[in-house]
Order: sequence, then structure tokens, then C-alpha cells
Amino acid sequence: MPERGEWFPRPTKSLDCLGLYCPEPVFRTREEISTVPTGHVLEVLADDPASESDIRSWAKHAGHEVILVEKIEGGLRFLIRRGT
Amino acid sequence: MIPKGVRGCGDILTKKILYVQTSGPDSPERLYPPFVLASTARAMGIEATVYFLGKGILVVKKGEPQKVQVGSFPTLKEVMDQAVANGVEIMICSQSAQLFGAKASPDEFEQPSKIVGAATLNDLALECDAVLTF
Repeated sequence: MPERGEWFPRPTKSLDCLGLYCPEPVFRTREEISTVPTGHVLEVLADDPASESDIRSWAKHAGHEVILVEKIEGGLRFLIRRGT
Repeated sequence: MIPKGVRGCGDILTKKILYVQTSGPDSPERLYPPFVLASTARAMGIEATVYFLGKGILVVKKGEPQKVQVGSFPTLKEVMDQAVANGVEIMICSQSAQLFGAKASPDEFEQPSKIVGAATLNDLALECDAVLTF
């Protein structure tokens, strides 16, 4: 994952999972990332405390790359680059 | 030839055991073994995680492990604190917390607890060397 202050690619799409709990953020992220081209980035907003480790675990097995997880007001913001 | 358990760069691969606790306060005798085994694993240089799932989450709600004591054993809280001090990681299933009316927030549970979900448990089960369920 790039260090803070590094340049991050602009997301192609954004997915709002605020207010959703396990396993919904993973299910919706999986569905949404299939709609962005390979190599493009999906932004996901979530406030389920489980989503940080869950989205990382899902991405690892699904072949995608979590390039950023940052705290935002009321939750977390993920940038995920679609793999193959 | 690279010996078993050693990466090419020379660092020893650490073994990992995952203990899944699904038992609740109604079976107190099943609550001690994961902590005792996990503490022992740490003493053996093995990474150990206890994952609380289903009714198991009731055991680690704030103030609950202090109420569990079987025979001459110390309270579950003492055994849990010892395990944490030994480096055992505690994880709590967020959906189970909601199922039993708890907020899926670390503040609701004994510290240090990490709130995680289904994908994390599946990943842990695949990545670790053994899974024991209580």
C-alpha cells in the first residue's frame, strides 16, 4: 500500500456501504467491482467496524488490491484496484 | 534445498492456530480451553487467535468473564487477561454481536478485542495451520 502523501488513482466509481453490516459491504463491493474495468479503482465507504479486515480478506482471495484504507468522518474509505 | 518451514530469505515461518469459541455462558466448562490452549501456543512460539462466534460473543461482553468461574479455577477474566498478556489475539464476529443485541463496537467488549466479520473468519481458517472449535 502506498505511503501517506503518495498519489492515489482517481476512483472510477464509488460505492456507499454506510449503515450496512457484515456481510453486506463485502457482497456489494464484490458486485460493484465487476462493473469497473480491470486495473481501475473502486471507492467504498463503510462504517461497519468489521469491514476493514473483511474487505482486505475478500480482496486478497478475489485477486483485487486494496490500495488505501483511511478513516473518514463516521467510517472508513477504501480504494480497491480491480484485478483480473 | 530450503528446509521445511523456512523461507528463502531465512526467516522461520510462524505456525498459527485459530480457536473458534461458539459456546456461551451456559456451558462454562467449555470457555476455558481456548484461552488455556492459546496461551500455551504462544509459549510454544505459535500465533494464536480466539474468534468468538454466535453465542460465544456473550462471554466476552464487558463485565461477563468476571462472572464465570468453575471449581477452583480462576475467573475466566483472569485466564483471558493472561492469554492477552501472552499475545493471544481476540476477535469478535460483528454479526453475532448484533444477533445477540450488542453493538458491533469494541467498546462493548473486553479489551483488546477486534470486531471482524465473515470474510475474515474464512480467511483465517484458510491461512492458519489448525482450527479448533469449542
